[in-house]
Amino acid sequence: MTLQSVELIRKRVAERPAELAEARTNGQKVVGWQGYNLPEELIYALGLIPVRIGAGGDDRLVEIGARYISTKNCVYVRETVGLFAENKDPIVQNTDFLAFDATCLQTYRTAEILEYYFNKEVVVLGVPRNFYWPEAQVYFTKEVEHFTGRLEELSGARLDHDKLAETIELYNRIRGAIVEIYEYQAERERLISWEETYDIIHAGYVLDRKEYLRMLEGTLRELQEAQGRPAPEEEDEARIFISGSVIPPGDKKLIHIINAVGGRIVGDDLWSGLIPYLDVHIGENTVEGVALAYINRTPHGALPYLELETDKRIKRLKELVKNYKAHGVIYHTLRYCDPYSFKAKETKDVLAAEGIPLLEIHTEYSGSDYEAIRTRIEAFVEMLKIRNFETLRN
Amino acid sequence: MSKVTAFAGVDVGSLGTKTVIMAEGEIIGSAIIRTGINTEENGWNGLNAALENAGLTRDDLAYVVATGYGRISAPYANKTVTEITCHAKGAHYIHPQTKTIIDMGGQDCKAIRLDDDGNVADFAMNDKCAAGTGRFLEVMANVFKVSLDELGPLSLSATEVLPVSSTCTVFAESETVSLLARGEKPENIIVGIHHAISKRVGGMFSRVGVQNDVFFSGGVAKNVGMRKALEEALQIKIVEPRKDPQLAGAIGAAVIAESAWKRGR
Ligand code: SF4
Repeated sequence: MTLQSVELIRKRVAERPAELAEARTNGQKVVGWQGYNLPEELIYALGLIPVRIGAGGDDRLVEIGARYISTKNCVYVRETVGLFAENKDPIVQNTDFLAFDATCLQTYRTAEILEYYFNKEVVVLGVPRNFYWPEAQVYFTKEVEHFTGRLEELSGARLDHDKLAETIELYNRIRGAIVEIYEYQAERERLISWEETYDIIHAGYVLDRKEYLRMLEGTLRELQEAQGRPAPEEEDEARIFISGSVIPPGDKKLIHIINAVGGRIVGDDLWSGLIPYLDVHIGENTVEGVALAYINRTPHGALPYLELETDKRIKRLKELVKNYKAHGVIYHTLRYCDPYSFKAKETKDVLAAEGIPLLEIHTEYSGSDYEAIRTRIEAFVEMLKIRNFETLRN
Repeated sequence: MSKVTAFAGVDVGSLGTKTVIMAEGEIIGSAIIRTGINTEENGWNGLNAALENAGLTRDDLAYVVATGYGRISAPYANKTVTEITCHAKGAHYIHPQTKTIIDMGGQDCKAIRLDDDGNVADFAMNDKCAAGTGRFLEVMANVFKVSLDELGPLSLSATEVLPVSSTCTVFAESETVSLLARGEKPENIIVGIHHAISKRVGGMFSRVGVQNDVFFSGGVAKNVGMRKALEEALQIKIVEPRKDPQLAGAIGAAVIAESAWKRGR
């Protein structure tokens, strides 16, 4: 049964575009942003309204986007361009300007396309390829400072230290609440599902951040009260962790298939899921403090491995799989998403060494591969269930 | 006469519907029929043909498992299981030392690695292109105006391997027509086609890690030429099956039917 707080969150998401339109008539500016290393705190602290943009699962929008961006770009960025080309999405319609980062060169390219074809004002944040060098930290800090300066110019506001400190506190509490809800979704009691948690995360892309925090805390209260409900039988469970390319709002294919064949999703390290909320430790309440905290998080797949054994992303993936007691990983790669597709094999090998099976699913937004994917995932779920059965028996 | 408790595995593939009837762990009947357009009807027909072969009726069946692409429309089955799991069980039943299965069916091909208990440890599947499928070879057989069964023996009489670069059905067909027009011997072209397929699917097989013993299943496994080409391309030895390798999926389904029935589910 869906929690009341989750239903309320969904209702508020539906009401949000009208609120954004009203805020704009009252002189507020809305910033549509996309990028893994872009510190949203800075947009918010300047009194701007941040909305994270990007959607998936709509082949029609991908086709429209492909009139402007190469068909050799991933479907996610093609659909993002399609959103702007069609200009019917109520969130996209309500953006005053855009902010993108260059973590993945395909999102960077999207920024160029949106500027070139749609005359959008886009602030771009540069991102180093290797995060571990001191020079990279200096470079990124300078980039974030420059980025903040551009936002100040466009908003006509100056970044205020107290407002930044207050924002950091707000965002830290949001991150903490999300991580806590994630713990609940993986529990045997199933008080909340991963799918609901995922929707909650996506709600945070558009809702007012203070209201969002209140709603997350409401969800946590409801979860605490519901505790003690008898847990369902554990037998026959295939607990699945999802990794790989982004699964943005609207892209439900993989999730539907996993559910349809009896798998249970218990965690993810997706850019559109949990990973951006983990390991953000802001030391000083300054632009530099924010920049350093972002650069020290788990890196995005678009950034190269430096040493496979010590790579933070792989290390975090292993930790999360264990934390959420997943039996196997479904590694989702979108067509032409080179960052994640190229790393599938080595990720599989590293996990195999730990006894964690990985299934790569390579797909795009059309439905033509539905049955083929279904067979693979169903076989993977069967494999995990048989393993569990044998483990329990021995 | 005491009543037989029988189990059936029905594998509705894109080209053939394979059915196996088992009792007390032994195969007591089987049937392979051509798959028609009505998926559900194929399953029923296969089941009836195999029951007749076993001398049993539907009342003797305790549990039925359906597999293959037609499993999604199988009201006659108690349970459906993917062909990947079924091929693993079937190959393990036929040859318990199997560690790797190369399965070439009507519309896809797979590589499956097994653990010591015959359970799936890893798999890879190609269903995006026709290379390595029965359908591809069927088209090629048409070009040579021979039956599918004749392709393999013909290729064994080749005197040289003619390189065929395409594994796309359409391009390979036109390449073959050009080679024939040039006066090349059919058997040399056919062996070239088998080699081209082996190379094409070789990458997929190495991704799951080919380990001995290797079992070749699916309809294409009956093609001796394909088998030889795979052995050469992958530097492996394929085991001699003691049962029809095309029945592997259906056998696995029947094995699963029996154990599911015993576990009461
Ligand atoms: S990481 Fe992959 S899915 Fe994300 S924008 Fe880059 S190419 Fe597209």
